[in-house]
Amino acid sequence: MIEIRQLHKNFGSLEVLKNIDLTVSAGEVTVIMGPSGSGKSTLLRCINRLEEITSGTVIVDGYDVTDKATDINFIRTEAGMVFQQFNLFPHMTTLGNVTLGPLKVRKMNRKEAENLGRELLAKVGLKDKADTYPDHLSGGQKQRVAIARALALKPKVILFDEPTSALDPELVGEVLDVMKQLGREGMTMVVVTHEMGFAREVADRVIFMDEGVIIEEGPPEEIFTHPRHERTRSFLGKVI
Amino acid sequence: MGTGFEFKFSVIWESIPILLTGVKLTIFITAFGLLMGFLLGTTTGLMKISRNPLIRRLGGFYIESVRGTPLMVQVMFIYFGLPLAIGTRIPPIVAGITAIGINSGAYIAEIVRGTFQSIERGQTEAGRSIGLTHFQTLYYVIWPQAFKRMIPPLGNQFIISLKDTSLLVVVGVGELTRTGQEIIAANFRAFEVWLAVAVMYFIMTMSIAKVLNIIERRLEI
Repeated sequence: MIEIRQLHKNFGSLEVLKNIDLTVSAGEVTVIMGPSGSGKSTLLRCINRLEEITSGTVIVDGYDVTDKATDINFIRTEAGMVFQQFNLFPHMTTLGNVTLGPLKVRKMNRKEAENLGRELLAKVGLKDKADTYPDHLSGGQKQRVAIARALALKPKVILFDEPTSALDPELVGEVLDVMKQLGREGMTMVVVTHEMGFAREVADRVIFMDEGVIIEEGPPEEIFTHPRHERTRSFLGKVI
Repeated sequence: MGTGFEFKFSVIWESIPILLTGVKLTIFITAFGLLMGFLLGTTTGLMKISRNPLIRRLGGFYIESVRGTPLMVQVMFIYFGLPLAIGTRIPPIVAGITAIGINSGAYIAEIVRGTFQSIERGQTEAGRSIGLTHFQTLYYVIWPQAFKRMIPPLGNQFIISLKDTSLLVVVGVGELTRTGQEIIAANFRAFEVWLAVAVMYFIMTMSIAKVLNIIERRLEI
């Protein structure tokens, strides 16, 4: 589904990603962990080219993301994204947020798009919030709308960039529940998060990053109980 | 010791019909000038945030040269200077509208640029992440939010431009200030007539402020 080869990313003279190789298969849930500044969010944003990569290749569903001939807007409908700060459109209702993509990108007619939108809002438990503006939603509700917005394009993979980091602790659960359900339904997901419980429950694989490189990767149990690398150990010691 | 001055209300009363013809022209020039300024300002404001450095510099050149020169000089240049170069006279009203349009356009451009840039980066990223093109993101996501923030500074610019039309006396456009001058030339009642002219400008600028206030409240969710 996603193939990353020898990816390098520089911000000016600072190298934030150093020779990353990563393959994500269809239906797989991959969790990326690591201290802040380790490059995990940047790596995620290189997959749908919100960041231009410096060198290497990123292939999503068979399309080379960095190739000028590739329609990047198409890639972005294939690889949806959920942001830490939700980034809902404040001037639109939740239904408006969810249907914008289907209407303008997928060129669906309004009735179809609204049916799809309501269906997805119901899926994330916000059936009765269709006509509410984002300002009147809690953080957890906002993030669930954002997930519905990403799902509306029927993407093949969803990229989650610290989806629960901006939430009050008591709201984290409702967002994770939606994500767990997606994982169980077979959605391919790449999730940057520090939620161990989530990783344990649904991740097929945990990747630990530090200073722009992948330090180690493996099934969650193995990484959490027998980390091979000292840096992984010290990081896990801090977050548990 | 008296000045011999006696306020005559009848003078104001009698001037009103003539002054109103000036008001009409002032509104006409302001409206079309601002329409032109808005189109010009939106275009050049967006040019200023283009990713292409040449387009950015082009927009910047227009904004800087207009902001860096007095409106009076711009009016004179358009009315007296330009016809020599293009070989045809420009009617005073057209020159007036053009001058107000070009002048307000530069300030509106800065308003457009500022408000567009004030919308959080995450909004653009969210728009692009659902597959919208750069232009669609600007149109459906950024523009509606930026427009709301534009209203107070735009209102300010509308008021400034309306008052700026009084400078068009120098090219003989019969707007409000010019009509006032003409009445005074005939009756020498400067006190009453300028007072009446001032009140009429004040009513117009207050109306703009009020209308924008209403629009702003309507857009509040």
